[in-house]
Amino acid sequence: MSIVRVTKEVVFLYKIILQLLVSGIAMGFVYGLVGIEYTLIWNSTGLLNFSHERIIMLGAYIFAGSFVLQTGLSVLPAIVATIIAIIFFAVFVAYTIFIPLRNMSALCAIMSTVMLGNIINESVRLYYGPEAITVKGFLTGMIRIGTLVVARAYVVIIFVALIILALLLLFMMKTKTGKAMRCVAQNKNASSLMGIDVQKNMMITIAISFSICSIIGLLVIPLYSVKQSMASMISLKGFAAGVIGGFGSLPGAIVGGLFIGIIENIAGMIFPSTFKDVVAFVCLILMLLLRPSGILGKKRIS
Amino acid sequence: MFSRKHTRKIYAVLIIAALAFPLISNNTYYITMLCLAFIYMIVAFGLNFITGMTGQVNLGTAGIFCIGAYTSALLTTKTFISPWLALLVVILFGFVIGIALGYPSLRLKGVYLSLTTIAFGEIVRQLVNNMTDFTGGAHGVRAIPPYCLFGFELNTKLRLYYFLLAVTIMFGLIAYRIIYSKWGRVFTAIRDNIDAVDTCGISSSKVKIIAFTLAAVFAAIAGGLYAHYSGYINPSTFTLNLSVSFVVMVMVGGSGTVLGSVLGAVLVSILPEMLRFLGNYYQIVFYILVFICTILIPNGIVNVFLERQKTKALPEKN
Repeated sequence: MSIVRVTKEVVFLYKIILQLLVSGIAMGFVYGLVGIEYTLIWNSTGLLNFSHERIIMLGAYIFAGSFVLQTGLSVLPAIVATIIAIIFFAVFVAYTIFIPLRNMSALCAIMSTVMLGNIINESVRLYYGPEAITVKGFLTGMIRIGTLVVARAYVVIIFVALIILALLLLFMMKTKTGKAMRCVAQNKNASSLMGIDVQKNMMITIAISFSICSIIGLLVIPLYSVKQSMASMISLKGFAAGVIGGFGSLPGAIVGGLFIGIIENIAGMIFPSTFKDVVAFVCLILMLLLRPSGILGKKRIS
Repeated sequence: MFSRKHTRKIYAVLIIAALAFPLISNNTYYITMLCLAFIYMIVAFGLNFITGMTGQVNLGTAGIFCIGAYTSALLTTKTFISPWLALLVVILFGFVIGIALGYPSLRLKGVYLSLTTIAFGEIVRQLVNNMTDFTGGAHGVRAIPPYCLFGFELNTKLRLYYFLLAVTIMFGLIAYRIIYSKWGRVFTAIRDNIDAVDTCGISSSKVKIIAFTLAAVFAAIAGGLYAHYSGYINPSTFTLNLSVSFVVMVMVGGSGTVLGSVLGAVLVSILPEMLRFLGNYYQIVFYILVFICTILIPNGIVNVFLERQKTKALPEKN
């Protein structure tokens, strides 16, 4: 009798751990995407984009507020329209703010991107109003995989993240623009000598980064709903993910994101769940003190 | 345009104006705003040492401010000790945090340091928010007793105003003396050329920790004052936005000067209120103004007028 009970409990525990793993991996991919999105801009322009939280939010607002609720588009065309709108915005921001700013001191660069974020935040509040928006039936519900029941949002997040990663990898490795992007990340002077238009390349990078931001915004709608503070946690943890994986490395961002996502979910089971959000930042500080180059980083920081 | 002698006159005028303000204006609202500005000034004086002079971007000041406020508030409401005794504990805490935060700054530079300090601020806020039994969680701490001075309870706005003014002048004086001392010169030297500092036989790591500790102690004391000034604190005050506005005070006002911190703190706390006539748009106009200031005058308003700073105060990014 007791053996049966013990096995039942073990199976139950096993199921819980599996579910936590799935949600941890899904959140890990979200953090990893955030990490990738700001690492792209960092590599290309040397700016740390502190406004990315607001751009993630802006993407979700444009999708939910403008295209789904106001014009009544169905989901797929609305997603495409959102990405196109964000790319136009990215080109504007790149030429007016990011590219002129890249030669300023670190303090000024940080503060101006923070202020840009605040301006976007206020504009969104003025235009869409302070209330949260919900998109009915978007990525909600549960999916059964064998005996495992997981939220549909998590499965979609994992799939979309994998697709984005594959596309990004193909783009960076196979296309001429992608190769140029990697050159610019390595050495701006040399790449301009090789005939690469560095400014245009930065603009393309920023556009890609912003469209990844908007996709993240769409993916987390079922988790946080569309409100102004929706991205504050994931953007900060995304920073942590990038540093833990290895600052400036794209694979590192994903590794760091998965690390944080899984650790934080497991820790939520061991410690009281109220401390769940602290875990990522404690990991960040420990990593910075013990191994500042991150999990995948090899170079020493100078 | 102004030399150091002139700035002394400006300080005198400012202090007299601040002393006379409650006599001229009866508007309690403005007095309350100025009280807050005084508290912010103390934080800005401290932050000036790290961000303005040593050139390290610290975005975790709200965390230190929060620890100062909660330490003082919890000690006085739970153990009923005098706020003055709590202030000593607050100073001790500030000292410990300064050393603890200063240590990573020896190994980390630029963005890494800003990320570490952001993480620190976020950890503090989450812990305060989540340890409901100890800190009261999101409900905050209520009924924090005011300071008592020679049997006077500093409970009216006017008394608080003069008390905070006196404290601010005191800290301003300390900050002024430090800026023009050996420490101050080494702080600026670290920002401009850290290798030269070490070559001169001055331990740059020791000086960096001094800068961090000073800033942490100033911010913690300001936090303690804030708790007793407002009588009620809750974690939603101490967000990353607050840290950002502290940095804005130092940057927009003028890095490396006391006058800059004064101007910055007054601007950040009063300007949004002055822009209220814009209705819904006042906040966005404020942010746009700060944004323009950041780009056009990265060294701050005061340094535009100061003769002393002929060289570029902030180094170009390599």
